[in-house]
Amino acid sequence: MAHIHLGDGSFPLWALVLWTTLGGSLVAYVLYRLRTRSVETRHVALAGVAAAASFAVFQLNLPVWGGVHLNLTGLVGILAGPLLGPLVTVVVNVFSAALGHGAVGLLGANTLVNATEALVAFYAFRTLVRANWSPFPAGATAATLGLAAGAFLMGGIVVASGVNGSALPRADLALAVSGMVAVNLGVAVLEGVLTGFVVQFLATVRPDLVGAAADDTTEPSGVAV
Amino acid sequence: MGAWRQYGALTAVLGACTAAGLWGFANTGGPLPYAKRFASALQQGARDGSGALLDVGRGVVVAGPIRKQGLVGEYVAVVAVLALVGLATYAYTTRRASDPPRR
Repeated sequence: MAHIHLGDGSFPLWALVLWTTLGGSLVAYVLYRLRTRSVETRHVALAGVAAAASFAVFQLNLPVWGGVHLNLTGLVGILAGPLLGPLVTVVVNVFSAALGHGAVGLLGANTLVNATEALVAFYAFRTLVRANWSPFPAGATAATLGLAAGAFLMGGIVVASGVNGSALPRADLALAVSGMVAVNLGVAVLEGVLTGFVVQFLATVRPDLVGAAADDTTEPSGVAV
Repeated sequence: MGAWRQYGALTAVLGACTAAGLWGFANTGGPLPYAKRFASALQQGARDGSGALLDVGRGVVVAGPIRKQGLVGEYVAVVAVLALVGLATYAYTTRRASDPPRR
């Protein structure tokens, strides 16, 4: 569920430019890959549904860990794949920022964080399924690992950038941010288990959906649950 | 791989993350909403706090920025549009896949 919850102007200009450039480069690379490879329309449909689910959940504050929202980016990565998955995170972040949930200036940083979650979850899930893991443990573990990767990246981005208006020395800021990363890891447990159940359910009723993204938008051999 | 190994590995990952979460929860002010926790941690630094992990009485609420600006209708509209586009595309591709190939 990692998401940088700071307002516009919180990061120094150089950091804003850096993260926006990196986020934009990731999107450009994904779009280039999509143009050079064929993507089945059903994958686009699946990504659209995943975007709707992710966006809806993104805006709901749950009464656990003090009040948190989920991202479902692990599920997005597993269902939509490594190309459409990052694009879904862009869509979710843009619409969220448009509604005031997340700063417009941090779109690049938040896209990097959430795309990382989707990418790590996808590749972890594919690796585990190829090792003959069952859908539930594979989905839950992959989503948790993906969310953990996103949480660490989020912490790294905040510490590397520094926060305008914060009088904390860099060491104290790093300690405070590590606490936030740790909270995100706790929330990843909830989201990981939820993702595991969804993947288990889909693998039972529509196994083609779970491995769909990996079939022909990535490497020749995809995920077969 | 054996089921016990799969679930053992999953349990280890979830256990490590839960332990980290509990440490972070206690060191960033306890039961605070995420946005407030983020702001206070980054402005005031780590500070101890304690409280319930689950507050059922609070319920599920729409994120503060959307709720306070009266944008819940827009939020529902965006969700509906995204869902409709996805489902319509899915229905289109399913129908097209079942059509006989053109000669």
